[in-house]
Amino acid sequence: MATTTLIPKAEAYSRSWVIEWLTTVDHKKIGILYIVNSFLFFFAAGILALVIRSELAIPGLQFVDEATYNQAFTMHGTIMIFLFIVPVLSGFANYVVPLMLGAPDMAFPRINALSFWLLPLGGGLIFAGYLFGGAAAEGWTLYPPLSNDTYSQGVGTDLWLIGLTLVGTASILGSVNFIATIFKMRAPGMSLFRMPIFVWTVLVTATLILLATPVLTAGMIALFIDRNYGGSFFDPTTGGNPVLWQHIFWFFGHPEVYIVILPAMGVVSEILPVFSRKPLFGYRAFVFATIGIGLLSFSVWAHHMFATGQVALPFFAFMTAMIGVPTGVKMFNWMATLWRGSISFTTPMLFAIGFISMFLIGGISGVMLASPPMDFHLHDTYFVVAHLHYVFFGGSVFGVFAATYFWFPKMTGRRLNERLGKVHFWIHFIGFNLAFFPMHPLGISGMPRRIADYAADPIWMFWNAVSTVGAFMIAVSIIPFLINVVATLINGERVGDDPWEANTLEWATTSPPPPYNFDRLPPIRSERPVFDLRHKHDAEHLAAEGLAPTRGEA
Amino acid sequence: MSVEARTGVSADITPHVEIERREVGMPTPLVGMLLFIASEVMFFGGLFAAYFNARATFPGPWRPPEPAHELEILPLALPLTIILVASSFTMQFGVWAIRRGDQPALRRWTAITLLLGITFLAGQLYDYSILGFGISDGVFGTVFYTLTGFHGAHVFGGAVGLTILLARAMQGQFSARNHVAVEAVSMYWHFVDVVWIALFTTLYILK
Amino acid sequence: MGRIQAEPWLRRMGRTALPLLMVVALAGCGMIPPEPETEGGRAVFSLYNIVFAMGLAVFIGVEGFILYSVFRYRRRDDRLPQQLHGNNLVEIIWTAIPTVIVLILFTLSMIALGQVEARSENPGVEIEVEGFQWQWTFRYLDDDGDPANDYTVTGTPANPPVMAVPVGEPVRLILRSDDVVHSFYVPQFLIKRDVVPVPEGQEPNIMEFTVTEEGTYAGQCAEFCGNLHADMTFSVEAMSRQAFDEWLAAGRAGETPAPSAEPEGQVVEVTADQIRFEPLELRAPADQPWTLRFTNAESVVHNVVIYDAENNEVFRSGDLTGPDATGDFAVPALPAGEYTFICEYHPVPDMTGTLIVE
Repeated sequence: MATTTLIPKAEAYSRSWVIEWLTTVDHKKIGILYIVNSFLFFFAAGILALVIRSELAIPGLQFVDEATYNQAFTMHGTIMIFLFIVPVLSGFANYVVPLMLGAPDMAFPRINALSFWLLPLGGGLIFAGYLFGGAAAEGWTLYPPLSNDTYSQGVGTDLWLIGLTLVGTASILGSVNFIATIFKMRAPGMSLFRMPIFVWTVLVTATLILLATPVLTAGMIALFIDRNYGGSFFDPTTGGNPVLWQHIFWFFGHPEVYIVILPAMGVVSEILPVFSRKPLFGYRAFVFATIGIGLLSFSVWAHHMFATGQVALPFFAFMTAMIGVPTGVKMFNWMATLWRGSISFTTPMLFAIGFISMFLIGGISGVMLASPPMDFHLHDTYFVVAHLHYVFFGGSVFGVFAATYFWFPKMTGRRLNERLGKVHFWIHFIGFNLAFFPMHPLGISGMPRRIADYAADPIWMFWNAVSTVGAFMIAVSIIPFLINVVATLINGERVGDDPWEANTLEWATTSPPPPYNFDRLPPIRSERPVFDLRHKHDAEHLAAEGLAPTRGEA
Repeated sequence: MSVEARTGVSADITPHVEIERREVGMPTPLVGMLLFIASEVMFFGGLFAAYFNARATFPGPWRPPEPAHELEILPLALPLTIILVASSFTMQFGVWAIRRGDQPALRRWTAITLLLGITFLAGQLYDYSILGFGISDGVFGTVFYTLTGFHGAHVFGGAVGLTILLARAMQGQFSARNHVAVEAVSMYWHFVDVVWIALFTTLYILK
Repeated sequence: MGRIQAEPWLRRMGRTALPLLMVVALAGCGMIPPEPETEGGRAVFSLYNIVFAMGLAVFIGVEGFILYSVFRYRRRDDRLPQQLHGNNLVEIIWTAIPTVIVLILFTLSMIALGQVEARSENPGVEIEVEGFQWQWTFRYLDDDGDPANDYTVTGTPANPPVMAVPVGEPVRLILRSDDVVHSFYVPQFLIKRDVVPVPEGQEPNIMEFTVTEEGTYAGQCAEFCGNLHADMTFSVEAMSRQAFDEWLAAGRAGETPAPSAEPEGQVVEVTADQIRFEPLELRAPADQPWTLRFTNAESVVHNVVIYDAENNEVFRSGDLTGPDATGDFAVPALPAGEYTFICEYHPVPDMTGTLIVE
């Protein structure tokens, strides 16, 4: 690792680009593979969402029967969470983290490639249920006994279990890689508290994946044994306990929520300072809040199970309420970062501001659900669906698009068209709110989730119709995005190495970066080395930051 | 005006810091192995949680289903435990040997460890054949075979690692300075051993 | 001159803004739960309103601040704004604010929880609720301890059951399931509780409520439980004690034991197992009575109903609940032709068969 020998013949070395992409161990190429693969799954799961919303537009069964509908929402949830949001954020992390740390690559490049290639394999297996008599249809939570061999006989559920075990293993290996990279590969001068916030969120996320995912793996293996080898873990007729699965699933599942949201928070915490031209307010507080969320996330799982009547309500209600505190601190930090800034409305900035305003709604509804008496009413209704989409979609997916617009020039050297980007943002933003805000009143008035058909109540009909319109608007908003990506790749504006006047090390190399990232690095004396470099002649600034040039440099 | 000139980054990146990387502290592969073991701890944690939950909610006495006998530490379980614990020591002797640069001793100790591991696996399989109950015989059968089975699978994985280690040691690939693979496999082997001690205590002693 | 005319642009704006305002207003109303009709529900309702008001205040404050900041501090020139890295005092204050808010919320929740979870010594009526794929059975328990005397209502997807309860008295539900997890949910009571299949020896969930207003309240299964989950609807009818007693007595009198008969004519066998009929095609002789030997191999209720080509019901068996319950049912003479037989409780393709009478 310490020395790199350049073989003179290297220039003559060439292979077809197909082989190159299939066998690459370069973290940047793997990152792009992750992102492209995730977006393909995003579109597939999005089509399933449209199937769901079409069916729910008006009461009665018009397009699909119950079995198809149940498969659709099961696969929609599974694919969106496990094969879109988590891997797409891993993809950005893969691309950006080594660059941000000033490292030449990830710690284990070949394991990195393995953890990517397990994803399309696992995702393919999960989808393969459709080819063998129907995909899994028990909801993405797969509660037994519904998911055991008596009530779900098809092979779809087994494929779901195998596929998701592979995907889980991939993310465990990926998180080993991230943690090792962050601890062992930082450039000289890059101390832990000079790391970009995005790297911090990836570190905490990777730790959550490392500790939570294996528990789900154990649970899925147990369910597989129940289904195929006559086991009785979750089968009440032979002495097993179905609620045990819920404990195992949510012990993983709640950290999973933070696995999904923390890196998106990190993205936003990188973008807001750049386009406010100010540092993130309260860097250390933000780091501690991230760590706090990570720690607390292991003690709140049973708030998904208040209605089972088998959990310690006060304890879990208290811990769940407490996790609102670090989240609130982050919200204040973002607000203070905007305060008295110099704000430019680029597309990434719009998505970042969209993130904090939409995530806020998800946060408030989350605090409401943390109260057991209110949860007895709202649990398993559309209110929960609204809440989780404001967190996953209004939060994470907005973060994903912010990251896409922000780092696209880094990956390609070309900036996505800003005008099309803004068209995308506004259709997306309005469509999102039309699609998911109505789910709040639907849930509050008692519409359960996961039903293929509902009573012809005029209020329910109205809100469902609005929601369906919104869902199709989101789908429409993807069109300008896709046109933008294709047109920019063919003939986009070349914007040089650092088009955004950004802060962190990934902008201190060329765009796109060379295979081993850096020939040289600027000095790293704060969490914004590129900012310091840009303003290094600004003596006033340097003095204010306590970064007066050292003797050798003057 | 070019972007570089305006932002003053790429064109004006001096003073440069030469990218000079020295590895300090634990070697990266060992960090990776430790992290992987942490995830394995959580995996077995999940299985143990399932075991204790099943045991707590089980109606009736917690023992193998009739007509099978209760689990006994003799004649098989205790000797197998001793064999596995001993193999942890022999593994460590191998590590110490290569730290001194003693390649023949590494080969010897690795071979002995591998042999003990295989003996354990064989004993475990024989035990399965005489227990008199199966994985589908109620909750006890399910958790017993799942826990011991996954531990066995990990022993098998360790044995594969030891085999590769032995093959590499035969070719003299390790030295006092360069033997990170030996350290990594030994960490994993110790972990598998500790899991067995926890399993043995839970299944055979805390009845 | 008549009324003062609004400026045209104002009217145009009014025309576009009005529907928008209506949507916003509707959303505002929709954010308040239905008027509760139980004592526990009232506690939840007032808690909800307090928390919602707090949430709304936070929402308006934060969004207002964000909107103000992004417009007020737009980038106007290349000057660098003051590089503010943080402020310890401010950060301590805004760690304290959410802490206080969530502690208040937690305390209020625990108080409301006590009211929701209150259990009475002597409930006015005790009902065993059994959720099954995909309907409900309500078993009115009486004191004699003999299950045969309990009055039972079982619903079908096409004909959901009614649970009558007396107003003003605590109603206790014992929630049982023999198959998968269901959830008993009445939105206007603002409460639900999962119906969990528990292993032998473990207590099932209990739920209690006291209805305060006479009326009919729609309910529905809230935990996804398979294909016809959406059809697991029911209603709770709250009535005076007297009306309730009359309803129960009438129900008991109307109950008829499952029809069973000596085998007569040809015996045709059909078995229900794992929510599937075996076989799915039956053959019977035309124009003479025959016997349907119906076996239910599982612990879920099934029956057999035969419809002719015009969808008229021509035969209905009694309900059977296994495992391994068998009944012989006399079927009247049917003219030759093709009929459909179906389990009324499970109108799914696997329980919809063809009967050929020839």
